[in-house]
Amino acid sequence: MPRARKTPVLIRADTGTPAAVRAREGAAHPQHALALDAPLAKPQASTATLARRLWFCVYLPDLPLEAGGPLEQASVVVEEQQGMHRVLLACPRAAAAGIMPGQTANAALALLPTVRIEERSTLREQQTLEALATWLEQFSSVVCIASADVLLLEIAGSLRLYGGLLNLRRQIAAGLQQQGFGASLAIAPTPLASTWLARAGQRACIRDTANIASALRSLPLACLDWPAAICDAIEGMGVTSVGDCLRLPREGFARRVGAQRLIELDRALGRLPDPRRAWRAPERFCADHEMTEEQGDREVLLAICHELLLSLERFLLTRQLGAQRLLFSFFHLRGPATQLSVGCVGPERLAGHWFALLKLRFERMTLPEPVIAVRLYGGRNQVLHTESGRLAFHGKAGGQRLGYSMSQLAERLAARIGKQSVHGVTTVAEHRPQRAWCLQSVLGDKARTTLAVLRHSLKRPLWMLPEPTPLPAEHGLPLHQGRLTLLEGPERLETGWWDEDGIARDYYTAVNPHGMRLWVYQNRNRTANWYLHGFFG
Amino acid sequence: MMSSLSATGRRVRYAELHALSNFTFLRGASHPEELVETAVRLGYEALAITDECTMSGIVRAHTAAKQYGLKKLIIGSELHLQSGRKLVVLAQNRDGYAALCELITAARRAAEKGHYELTRLAFESGLPGCLVLWVPDKRYELDVEDHWLRETFRDRLWIAVELLADGLQRKQLAALYEIGRRLKLPLVACGDVHMHRRSRRILQDTLAAIREGITVDKAGFVLHPNGERHLRSLEVLQHVYPAELLAETVRIAETIDFSLDELRYEYPDEIVPAGETPASYLRHLVAHGMQRRWPDDVPARVVQLVEHELRLIADLGYEPYFLTVYDIVAFARSQHILCQGRGSAANSAVCYCLGITEVDPGRMAMLVERFISKERNEPPDIDVDFEHERREEVIQYIYEKYGRNRAALAATIITYRPRSALRDVGKVLGLSELQVGRLARSMQWWDGQRVDDSRVLEAGLDPESPVIKRLLYLVRELLGFPRHLSQHVGGFVISNAPLAELVPVENAAMPDRTVIQWEKTDLEDLGLLKVDVLGLGMLTAIRRSFELLRDFDGRDLTLANVPAEDPRVYDMICKGDTMGVFQIESRAQMAMLPRLKPRCYYDLVIEVAIIRPGPIQGDMVHPYLRRRNGEEAVDYPSDDVKGVLQRTLGVPIFQEQVMQLAVVAAGFTPGEADRLRRAMAAWKRRGGLGPFEEKLIQGMRERGYEEEFARQIFRQIEGFGEYGFPESHSASFALLVYVSSWLKCHEPAAFTAALLNSQPMGFYSASQLIQDVRRHGVEVRPVDVNQSDWDSTLEAREDGAAALRLGLRQVKGLSEEAGRRVVEQRGNSAYRSIQQLLERAGLDRRGLGVLASAGALKPLEGHRHRARWAVAGVEKPTPLFVSMDRYEAAPLLRKPTEGQDIVADYQSLGLTLERHPLHLLRHRLDRYRYLQAERLPDLVHGSKVCVAGLVITKQRPGTASGVTFVTLEDETGHVNLIVWKRLAEQFRAALLNSRLMGVHGELQIEGEVVHVIARQLIDHTEMLGNLVVTSRDFR
Repeated sequence: MPRARKTPVLIRADTGTPAAVRAREGAAHPQHALALDAPLAKPQASTATLARRLWFCVYLPDLPLEAGGPLEQASVVVEEQQGMHRVLLACPRAAAAGIMPGQTANAALALLPTVRIEERSTLREQQTLEALATWLEQFSSVVCIASADVLLLEIAGSLRLYGGLLNLRRQIAAGLQQQGFGASLAIAPTPLASTWLARAGQRACIRDTANIASALRSLPLACLDWPAAICDAIEGMGVTSVGDCLRLPREGFARRVGAQRLIELDRALGRLPDPRRAWRAPERFCADHEMTEEQGDREVLLAICHELLLSLERFLLTRQLGAQRLLFSFFHLRGPATQLSVGCVGPERLAGHWFALLKLRFERMTLPEPVIAVRLYGGRNQVLHTESGRLAFHGKAGGQRLGYSMSQLAERLAARIGKQSVHGVTTVAEHRPQRAWCLQSVLGDKARTTLAVLRHSLKRPLWMLPEPTPLPAEHGLPLHQGRLTLLEGPERLETGWWDEDGIARDYYTAVNPHGMRLWVYQNRNRTANWYLHGFFG
Repeated sequence: MMSSLSATGRRVRYAELHALSNFTFLRGASHPEELVETAVRLGYEALAITDECTMSGIVRAHTAAKQYGLKKLIIGSELHLQSGRKLVVLAQNRDGYAALCELITAARRAAEKGHYELTRLAFESGLPGCLVLWVPDKRYELDVEDHWLRETFRDRLWIAVELLADGLQRKQLAALYEIGRRLKLPLVACGDVHMHRRSRRILQDTLAAIREGITVDKAGFVLHPNGERHLRSLEVLQHVYPAELLAETVRIAETIDFSLDELRYEYPDEIVPAGETPASYLRHLVAHGMQRRWPDDVPARVVQLVEHELRLIADLGYEPYFLTVYDIVAFARSQHILCQGRGSAANSAVCYCLGITEVDPGRMAMLVERFISKERNEPPDIDVDFEHERREEVIQYIYEKYGRNRAALAATIITYRPRSALRDVGKVLGLSELQVGRLARSMQWWDGQRVDDSRVLEAGLDPESPVIKRLLYLVRELLGFPRHLSQHVGGFVISNAPLAELVPVENAAMPDRTVIQWEKTDLEDLGLLKVDVLGLGMLTAIRRSFELLRDFDGRDLTLANVPAEDPRVYDMICKGDTMGVFQIESRAQMAMLPRLKPRCYYDLVIEVAIIRPGPIQGDMVHPYLRRRNGEEAVDYPSDDVKGVLQRTLGVPIFQEQVMQLAVVAAGFTPGEADRLRRAMAAWKRRGGLGPFEEKLIQGMRERGYEEEFARQIFRQIEGFGEYGFPESHSASFALLVYVSSWLKCHEPAAFTAALLNSQPMGFYSASQLIQDVRRHGVEVRPVDVNQSDWDSTLEAREDGAAALRLGLRQVKGLSEEAGRRVVEQRGNSAYRSIQQLLERAGLDRRGLGVLASAGALKPLEGHRHRARWAVAGVEKPTPLFVSMDRYEAAPLLRKPTEGQDIVADYQSLGLTLERHPLHLLRHRLDRYRYLQAERLPDLVHGSKVCVAGLVITKQRPGTASGVTFVTLEDETGHVNLIVWKRLAEQFRAALLNSRLMGVHGELQIEGEVVHVIARQLIDHTEMLGNLVVTSRDFR
């Protein structure tokens, strides 16, 4: 079953080809479009009366489970409560084995040893919910994330477009099911009524405000999602349903349970307005430049890119943001678009800077076909920090002195010879010489660079062989262009037993008759072979 | 062993002066015993155990040194100063040892538990009697502090040279010689030993990672680069160190003259009044006590016995010990704290006269012979149980009387158990918590040696994977390693001189508590005396019963004057009607009582000891039963054995009997028998009954016993393991069994009220106790804000009998402070409205709410729903309107149904006085043809039956090879269920989740014991709706 939501839709303009491409196919007018991620529609001003609204509630009781992807085996989601992992939700297969919410993870394992146990990720749930909200925007201009597991759509305006209520409902239900969500759906004239009905699992569809009260009356208090303390308190009075609540004297109810709850009841019944704000996807820069003719001239394309970069700069400037990665898409009439991504060491905003990097990449790029449109997509925006006092490198090119900062140098090198070919080197706190250092990307996150302090005064050669070379030995002493004299040592290293690369060696600093200073070791096993591992300068 | 000859042909001699055992938690990777044994094998002249700022491991090292014949054990400690200096301090003599202990005490007491703080100031005295090795850091630069060292310790200071193959040995040696030259200090070789052999480095790395809380592969320089920190052979040392540095070790060792054997314990002085000697004072007290116990005429036999005992005590010089215990007991008496002694010495006539125990030796003629063994020279053992809620008063009295520097609790060394080892090792090997959890979930497969692959597979892990292999290897190695010090439950050491001169004292986790760094067994090994001050819930309950009866009808009962040997009490016990009674109330005990049919006090002594894991594993229960019921002949292989086993019909039941058997039948000396007893207690952990097995069986064969008999005895010894129960304890417990049974039999209302007031204790919940007492015809009255006290009380009925009034303490969520205020403010004028409760008792809305939920406001507001509504609406009086009656529309609230009331009762009180919930469900249960519990005994053995009930206990004893015992409760009584392991696996979900369980099974009736062997389990929990029943699960 394909699950589209795995690739979250990040921007609206990104779905589909640019207008110009479509225009070509349908022969429309050329245009220069710049869409700064404006929402396609805004919530309508609330001039309409309450009864003319209709709210569609999508309640996702199993979201914590479903957010983790398709359920191929029996699974449960656990949550840590006071140091204990307790089951939050069990999939049907796990439930069939007797696993129930509230059990400890160990109890779940006792019931079904093969059960897959996953820790709850509210972040993942939030992302899934947002992706769903984006998907639902095709059905309504007003989509709200009402709570961690509830989405609301205002659908009064969409009914005609989608061929009536039943049709709309069917489409949404099918789409949700296809994406792997078990949702409970309900429709009512107020947001809260539809939410409560959905929580109760009632496939209700109420169109008339006058019918709300009778529909809600039988709902148990649990649907209201009120705090447990409040529910306990009123249940203790023998009040167990919404209907019971409505029967209580208003003033007494407000005094005991709180005015806020009374307002909620009134809102649910449509006695009070319940304005909602539409959810909007986070802002990303995305701009298209569409052309009248297919264009193959690199200079022209570069100029277009520069223009797009200038709009990006303006976009970022007004928001005091920067971006670390950019994606250019070059659309062709036939065939898939050509993608070109450009990266920086840190968040960057200046068009000139980006342009310099782009030029380096662009020179080496081959375009299969002429281009009909260019899109610049801005990636994740980051807060921009200005830095000063960077280490500068100086070079000369064409009689001109150039000053580069370290990061600029790295960026330029990466742009020219490829990201994977530019590294930094850092030391690692580890006794084994072969693991005491590692390569580090210069274009990655800066934060995790930690320089391990080498143990003081240890002798290590600067030139280490990638693999130790076996040395012949004579009278127990190794040979390398003559017999070696052991100067210092042994430095005994016995460690690394926890992986497949453990060692037990005695290292020595040695010198051969030619005066070469070598780093050699003898294995501490029965063979006691000698190896050369490095050269001292 | 190869001899190690130096270049000049002289034999190399070496003493290791710097070695850490695993009592330096998470650094040392070998047990002290292992270090000692290895040092002996390598031919060391001496070994110093120098754990970091602790003396916890030295008694074990001391014992091992004697056992393996180590030439000299040196006692010392590695100390890290705040400035970073590292010193190894060695005790040269008794004074030096005292100074070192005091230094450690000061350093530990100055920091929070588990840490210590040392600065230069602590060394101002210069630690006379100690030698100091300074371990310089790798900078080899001198600063002021080094000169300070030189000035403080002068000619008792050495520079420790620790060459550990780090590649810089030559430079290091040169630098240290240079420092030595400049400071005029001698150098000495040391090994910085962390383990007894090189292969432990893997475990040592693991410990280091656990200590730092990181995974091994990320541990980096936290780990040592190699495994040199072990006890190296003399040949190796000879290559590593210059000869003069090795020779210096021996020279130092030779100047040291101290052994733990020199420690002598001195009793506190203040237990004897001026002008008396301990002997005269004890004699005086005993004579006085005899008068009290036998006011008319002391039986000649008793006089003789007391005389005999006093002579024995005098010979061994134990008078101060008896006086110390007497003093503590006398304090408890004066505070009306109920207490009772037990243990080998407690059942003496002397202790009876002193009031330490209430067990009349006349009643127990058989026990006195095993009073104190003169030959064994074993210190007498008296444990005193106090009411659990008031034990702290006794402890504080001891601290106050002797001072905190002279009284402290013994430590308990918490060691790695399979679960904790698995968790810690798993974490540092990078396994996720859940993965480790899977493996740790069921540790029953862990027999200490082998792991069943299928279990590993079931946990979703591959037994062949290297990580799992490493994990299991390391867990095995780590088992039994000490982890931290905790406090012993009540083992007190009291001395005349400051304790800190004897053993370091450190802070315990509890505020206002200090513990010494030695365990109870360490104290025994050194022959030091301690008094166990323990807490026992049943004593609280008994004292409360006595008090309730005193208030009710003025009767003055004590442990001593409860009528003895009442046949009605034994009738009740024989029926297994013992819910709530001390010791014999468990499922297993109840099932055994109708078969054992105890009819006298000594039967109870046996009953207490026999239904325990030890005798059950050793298969002693059934032979005893058969012999008692006359189904099997009682015979003895010899008169010697008869002498030991006659009182238990030829079946060894008590720990003492096993030891005596070893003496009379296998020729053990009393000392050896005592070692056997200790080995028994620890064999599962340390795995060492081997040498005893051979000796025992050999000895018995030589004395003409059959091999089979010998093997059987050995099996029984193994079975005793950690659970063997001594007769001397059983005898004291049996008195409490009798007294509690008497109370249950004759005063059920008072006894149940006392149990409720002492909760949590025992096996049964308040609900079960209440149902039980109602079945015995006692009227139980509900919680009522105008009638109840905080505790449950007795109320007189019209017919003069006692009714039980539930106390406010049953109300969940009501604080004791609020509850007591309600009672206090009520005085003699009842509350007439909720507003009054609010104003007079100062209850907040929450407090009122829980009272309303509990139905305690019924007299004020009627049913619960109305009470809750009313309570939710009250408001705190404002200064302006003192009492405000506001007009409010009255709501229409339904009266709660009986079912709702029951649910609310369970939720709020944990019990109900309404009908049993199953009563309401019976018509539904009938459809499934479930029988009521009371009908089962009328059926025949082997019938197929269906029963259903609330699950109230689930028990899986470690001894019962995977059987789960489940107790179901319906409106007529209990059903005892046996669930075999296979069935339990098949119906895992129902067994784990059911609160209301239906069972199809087979009836088993044996005498009065009724069981159902389950064949099918069905979860009917959904029928219960909201009813909360929590089962008490025991492992």
